[in-house]
This record gives sequence, structure tokens and C-alpha cells, in this order.
Amino acid sequence: MSNRKNAVCVGAALVILSVLLASGAPAQDYRNSTEHFEALKRAANGGTKLTFDKLPDWTGVWTRAPGGGLKFDPAQPSLQQTTAQLRPEFAGKHKEKLERVAQGIEWDPISNCIPPGYPRWLTEPFLREFVLRPEQALLINEMVNDIRRIYTDGREHTPEDEAYPLWNGDSIGFWDADSLVIHTTQLMGGQYQRSQPDYTDQVETVERWRKVDDNLIEAEVMIYDPPSLVKPWRVVQRYSRVTTPGIRIRSWVCEENANNEVIQTKEGATEHVLPGPGAGPIMKNKADK
Amino acid sequence: MTRQSIMRIAVAAGVLAGLGVPASAHHSGAMFDPEKTITLKGVVKEFEYTNPHSWLWITVTNDDKTTTDWGFEAEGPSTLFRNGVKKSDLKPGDKVTVTGRPMRDGRPAAAWINAVKEDGRVLQVRTLPPPVTTAPVTPAPATQPGGI
Repeated sequence: MSNRKNAVCVGAALVILSVLLASGAPAQDYRNSTEHFEALKRAANGGTKLTFDKLPDWTGVWTRAPGGGLKFDPAQPSLQQTTAQLRPEFAGKHKEKLERVAQGIEWDPISNCIPPGYPRWLTEPFLREFVLRPEQALLINEMVNDIRRIYTDGREHTPEDEAYPLWNGDSIGFWDADSLVIHTTQLMGGQYQRSQPDYTDQVETVERWRKVDDNLIEAEVMIYDPPSLVKPWRVVQRYSRVTTPGIRIRSWVCEENANNEVIQTKEGATEHVLPGPGAGPIMKNKADK
Repeated sequence: MTRQSIMRIAVAAGVLAGLGVPASAHHSGAMFDPEKTITLKGVVKEFEYTNPHSWLWITVTNDDKTTTDWGFEAEGPSTLFRNGVKKSDLKPGDKVTVTGRPMRDGRPAAAWINAVKEDGRVLQVRTLPPPVTTAPVTPAPATQPGGI
């Protein structure tokens, strides 16, 4: 082999090695989300403590990029086809769910105004704002004023004896150049979205968020949920800048209109109560109800 | 159903091809019939610009001179605003022609698609997703594993 060819081979090997080092290692090699997150942190030399003047500019109003809809993975071919590799029990539950939806039988727990919970949070189709501070990042979804708080001040997760299940979990993170790397644990079980598979309360994630360009923020997400997934599930979520003149994020009160109150029928379908025009807020505990 | 003031068009897939059940923020949209579309003429009674859903209520005069209040459900204010629909666009007393997907159970309500005002202005409330399919459930190829 010529010296020139040798140089090319060595160069290519170095590029591959540097990519592997930068990304830790292929995610399927990690036994769990903690091992994955710690590897990324080591690869980033513990992460960078950013001051206000060094933080990326993620200001603005954002929303999920077109094409996602109710699909948890925007890359999945249709709402009915998940890219998750589900264990048989969860694949069966998902198939049954889709068959019931096709018959018009569907109930979404958030119909009662509970939050969607994370990781479903990633897919809700409303306005978002990402507030970056040196010690924490606030990832805000307009829907039910839903905030994920990511501590970037170097703290660890809440100790086990203080932990309890949370809608959006317990998140810590670090900055790797202009990427925010997040580890989330202590979550509740739920569904990735309507017509999408379920996840258990053992679900944990590793995310890498970065601003791709002035109009696009991308989150690469690796989901670990051993009871439901054969292997970790990688999805890429994208958020587009909202350019509507005058747009503002306002307070979101889920119970403000009783015409939005729905009940679950015996067969599991969703039915409006529908009191009619001028119904006012939902007040379930009103004496006259 | 025969109502002079109601242009009710029972539309099977095809006339308004490509329109499925609208995705709904807070509850399933399965109570709305994806195979039917109704268009009603009426007078605005109330425009509830609220979360998680907004409701446009119009009073429709039936053939027998009785009236029915019909409700059209949309997304909340920020989604309407992004679609160019403001609270002030629909005031009580305004004459409108409203199109939506009716409820399966026959009650006078629908998933709101659009409204046409007396001056011809169209308020497009939703861009509907592709039609609901009943394709067999087959797992898609997994995405390429990455390192994050």
C-alpha cells in the first residue's frame, strides 16, 4: 500500500474514532440510560459551565415541526406503524388499541386535564419556549403551562430515598459545546401519544438538544424502557420557529370551558357532556352537579 | 333531515377528499365521523375562545321555524391565532356558514373545519390530516441507531 493510501486510511480511522468519542459509543451498547448519560458526560469532559454570555440563543416561540402529528417518531411511516421495537405484550396492547381506535373507541387520560407527562411531552402540538440559564434550562410547553426543568449546575439526580414518580421526571444535564445533553428519570407510565404505544414507569431517556439553524431546534432522544422495549428507541424530534406576527404564549387553563368536559363510556369511548353555549368553567365539585 | 337553512351535505370520502378526523389537543377525536361533513348556515351565538378547545356556537333555524344551537369545536386560542382567527372575528349576530365533521351520536356538534363570513372571508380553522386508514398494523423498519 502506498504512503498516500496509508495516510488516507489512518485519516479515516481517526475521523471514525473521533466521532465515536464525541458521541460516547453506539447507544445499543449501553446497558441503561445512566450508563449512556455518564459516557456522554465523560466524552464531554464533564460538560461546560456556561455563563449567560456564552449560552446559545434559543429565544423565540417554537412548535413541533410539521409532519409529526400524533406520531411519536416523526420518521415512522404512518400513525399505525411504530418504529419502536416492542416486547410481545406491549405490541399486542398497541395492536388492540389501534383496532379500537378504528372503531371509534378511544380514551385519552389527558381528557381529564392531567398533564401529558414526559416523554409524550415532546409531541404535544402547541407553543413552546426554551429558557436557558447557566444553572438550569426551562423547557416550556404552553399546554397546561407545562415546564420541564433541567438542572445544569452539576447536581445529581434526586436521591433514591427522596424520589417519587413525576409527570416530567427528574432531569439533569450539561452543555457539550452548543448541545444540551439531558438525563431524565423518575417518570410515570403513560402513552407516547394517542394511537401510539404505552411506556412504563421505568422509562428513562437521554436527550441531546441543539439549534440546527435560526428556525429549527432538534432533540435526539434515546428512550430506555426495558419492560416494553426490546432495545432502546431512538427518535429525533424537531421544533420550528413560530413566525406568526403578534404570537404570545399565554396562561393555559384546562378547565375554563365546560363544553370541553368529556366522559369515558363503559366501552371505553370518549363522549362530550356538552352543556351548550355559555357553560362557563368546569366545576366538578359544584353542589348542583 | 330537511332544513331550509341547513345545507347539509353528507359527504362520503371523495367530495372533500383528503379530510380525516381532526387531531384534537385534549381528547380523542373519535367521536367525530371522519366520513361525513356538514355545512350549516346560522347566526353566531357565542364564540368561546378557550383552552384546550374553542367552541363556535351558531343558531340554526330549522324548517319548522324552531332553532337549534350547533357547536363547532376547534383547538385553543393560540392555534386559532396562528391560523389567522381572532376572537373578534366572530361576534354574536354575525351570519356565517360553518363546515365541520359531525358527531357520530347525532348531537348538534361537529369538529370545526372552516367558517365563511357574510362578506366571503374564509376562516380556515384547521388543516386536516390525511384520511384515517385502516392499514394492517405492521412494524416499520427501526430507525438507525445513533449515539446521541
